[in-house]
Amino acid sequence: MATPAEQFRRQSTAIQRREKVIVFFLRASAWIILLAGATVLGTIAWKGAGTLLQPNFPFINITFLAEAPQTLHVFELDGETVEMSDQDFREFRAKLAEEAAASGESAIVPDSTSYVYAAGGIFPNIVGTLLLVAGSMSIALGLGIATAIYLSEYARQGSTVRFIRLAILNLAGVPSVVFGLFGFGMFVLFFGWNVSLIAGWFTLAFMVLPVVITASEEALRAVPQGFREGALALGATRWQTIRRAVIPHALPGILTSSILGIARVAGETAPIMFTAAFIMRDKLPWEVDRWFDFFFQGVMALPYHIYVVSSKIPQNEYSARVQFGTALVFVLLVAVIASASLFLRHRIRARQRW
Amino acid sequence: MSEPDTRRPFAVTSRYGGERKVVGERMIQLFFGGNAFVAVLILGLIMIFLAREGLGFFQLNRANLEVYRKAGLEFVEPLRLQENQHNQLVRRMFDLRVESARALGRNTELDREAINARLRPLDDFILAFEDAAEPLIHASMNLSDLAAEIKMAAIEWEETEEYRGGLKPDFDYETARESLVAFLGTQERLNEMVAANLRRVVNQGNQLEWANTALARAFAELRNEALAFATDLPGAYHEMSTWDPNEPVPTWKAWSVFLTGSQWLTASFWQDWYGVLPLLTGSLLVSFIALAFAVPLGIGAAVYVNQIATRREQNLIKPAIEFIAAIPSVVLGFFGIIVLGELLRQFSEIGWMSWWPGFPVAERLNALTAGIMLALVAVPTIFTLAEDALQNVPKTYREASLALGATRMQTVWKVILPAAMSGIVSAVLLGFGRVVGETMIVLLCAGNRIAIPDFTRGLEVFTQPVHTMTGIIAQQMGEVVEGGIHYRALFMVGLLLFVLTLTINYLAQRAVRRLRLPTI
Repeated sequence: MATPAEQFRRQSTAIQRREKVIVFFLRASAWIILLAGATVLGTIAWKGAGTLLQPNFPFINITFLAEAPQTLHVFELDGETVEMSDQDFREFRAKLAEEAAASGESAIVPDSTSYVYAAGGIFPNIVGTLLLVAGSMSIALGLGIATAIYLSEYARQGSTVRFIRLAILNLAGVPSVVFGLFGFGMFVLFFGWNVSLIAGWFTLAFMVLPVVITASEEALRAVPQGFREGALALGATRWQTIRRAVIPHALPGILTSSILGIARVAGETAPIMFTAAFIMRDKLPWEVDRWFDFFFQGVMALPYHIYVVSSKIPQNEYSARVQFGTALVFVLLVAVIASASLFLRHRIRARQRW
Repeated sequence: MSEPDTRRPFAVTSRYGGERKVVGERMIQLFFGGNAFVAVLILGLIMIFLAREGLGFFQLNRANLEVYRKAGLEFVEPLRLQENQHNQLVRRMFDLRVESARALGRNTELDREAINARLRPLDDFILAFEDAAEPLIHASMNLSDLAAEIKMAAIEWEETEEYRGGLKPDFDYETARESLVAFLGTQERLNEMVAANLRRVVNQGNQLEWANTALARAFAELRNEALAFATDLPGAYHEMSTWDPNEPVPTWKAWSVFLTGSQWLTASFWQDWYGVLPLLTGSLLVSFIALAFAVPLGIGAAVYVNQIATRREQNLIKPAIEFIAAIPSVVLGFFGIIVLGELLRQFSEIGWMSWWPGFPVAERLNALTAGIMLALVAVPTIFTLAEDALQNVPKTYREASLALGATRMQTVWKVILPAAMSGIVSAVLLGFGRVVGETMIVLLCAGNRIAIPDFTRGLEVFTQPVHTMTGIIAQQMGEVVEGGIHYRALFMVGLLLFVLTLTINYLAQRAVRRLRLPTI
């Protein structure tokens, strides 16, 4: 029997119920995306932490960050499984041979199984990636920002400039592998620079150039016209106006976009695969005979290393260690760059008021 | 006499700096203009370089096809096709044998030896069927070797210094081909003999015993096909006798072989084919899978964040999805190959999932693995742009609709979504553009098998390994010779990709304009 109170209770109608179901699906789609992203990052963080962190002081695996990749040797010694990097293993073998020679017996070298890239660290890869980013972004920012200033401040806004702007905007959507192809054909083969740092710089710079130009121009055009008119009315010249009244206000926007450009350049693999990246190189980039050799040497890079260790070598527990460790370091690097740009944009949006 | 006034009468001067300052202004403008000129020049040069290297492919491909014809490779092709058909028949017979053995093992209590003894008549039959076509296969192999030799000789001839200097005449294909064409004289007799042999063997096959009716039916079908094969044997003769080695290869052929060719075959001893169709279909298939996941999720999330979510949820979801956009693609590809591929394989092997077409998956890395990871690339693009589009719908639309008594979902469905349609369509198109151009994920996860996916198998097509346009460039670029046909073929694929993404971008911009709301 119904109590009086229930008569006034809100009855949910069919429409409301349907409404709830739809809202549920919409909410689910948002959270599925976050869950998928969290799964990817979480797996990498969880498994990569095993490589990057260690239980005792200094808690971070310094070897992994400060050494070059080496081959890992695993062998049985006195009933225990021993893991040694290539360098250690050679010393160990030399010591065994010495001891054997001293006692007049023949040396017993244990049979070892070797796993490429599973020992040592990824120091040259980090250095290589940083070098690639620094060089290519210098080229792209210099050329890109100057171009944006010209297009937005100096050029007469006619159909030519509109066409150029549209062409640049469209070029921003061209796949990175096409730029890689261009870089390979132009710099590596046609100019004869071979697989080198400088070929990678120009390839990456040209890839990110349309993005830098478009974003910088957007930032410049967001500065109110009144600022320019005010400065010109006070008798400032064109350049004085641009330097004092336009650029300071556009700078945060330009910086944000350029940091996003850095994240993109650091993350790309396809363009450097055949222009700048080496699978393995013994020397560090600054160990060159003549100074200009610096530009014409290939480097190891983090993204290419991930590609190599995840598809070109046999999979086992030892390779998994270096795979996840490298991926975690790489993700952290890109995450720092990306969150810096997100943070910066947030700050600017809060401060901008005109 | 005073100095003539050299200053221009209306020159801009100021107390500080005078004309020097004006010149300085000019220099600054020149500097920026020069930079802009260089940047635009470079971007233009990229296009020109790509086009130059890519379009050179067609000339080489035409020469390639000409050698294929003149050296007689085309002549031998019908025979090779027959050899291939015969091989396939034999392989299917062996499959039947394996199945019979399994059926016998299941139904009877025979041990291995006894089963083998029981199947001996079938083994004999297969052997006899193989032997019956022996002369044909022999001829096909001999002629293949001969034609390949002629091709090698011709290429070597044309690479010598004397030929390039014009000191040597063109390679004499006519003489080289003589022994090849001479085969036609014996072919009719050979065909008759092989056909008779095949028929005899196949007719003997009706005495075989089968473990169950299904196998018997499968075998009857196979026999009919074998008989049809025997009847068709003279067809090759007809084709080969009407073959004209001197028929010129038209230029459009070089294009059509590239655009509609179903084979991408490089570094083969016989003939290299550069057909982009398997790669294009692979790219489109993978993109389709990615969008099938990403479009509902991305747009659903955008509607949720823009219309329903609380401020706090918005502040969590939006940056989080933007953060997903920052994950480098090689990391996603790595996750796909190491984690998702294995997970998907295990999932597909669960017994009750077998109703799903294509499960359990044959290959760990396939179009589905790549598609799922690519969805994660497309989602942030679609979400961000769709959310922008929803944000741009005037507030009054929503208020008017609610004021008329529409519910929240009715407002979203009937008012807001139609109003934001232009932005959403362009968001989906730009997401498609991103996915098509993505390289590392497909290179790592798609399985890299160069073949047109078998669409006749229905939904199973999604779990087949494929190769893509971006993948092939990344995979084969390291192994090409500069200026060679393979090098240029890859540039042509790159050019196609370039044109494809430009078209998608253009369509996205058009969509924004065409579907835009009338301003109030």
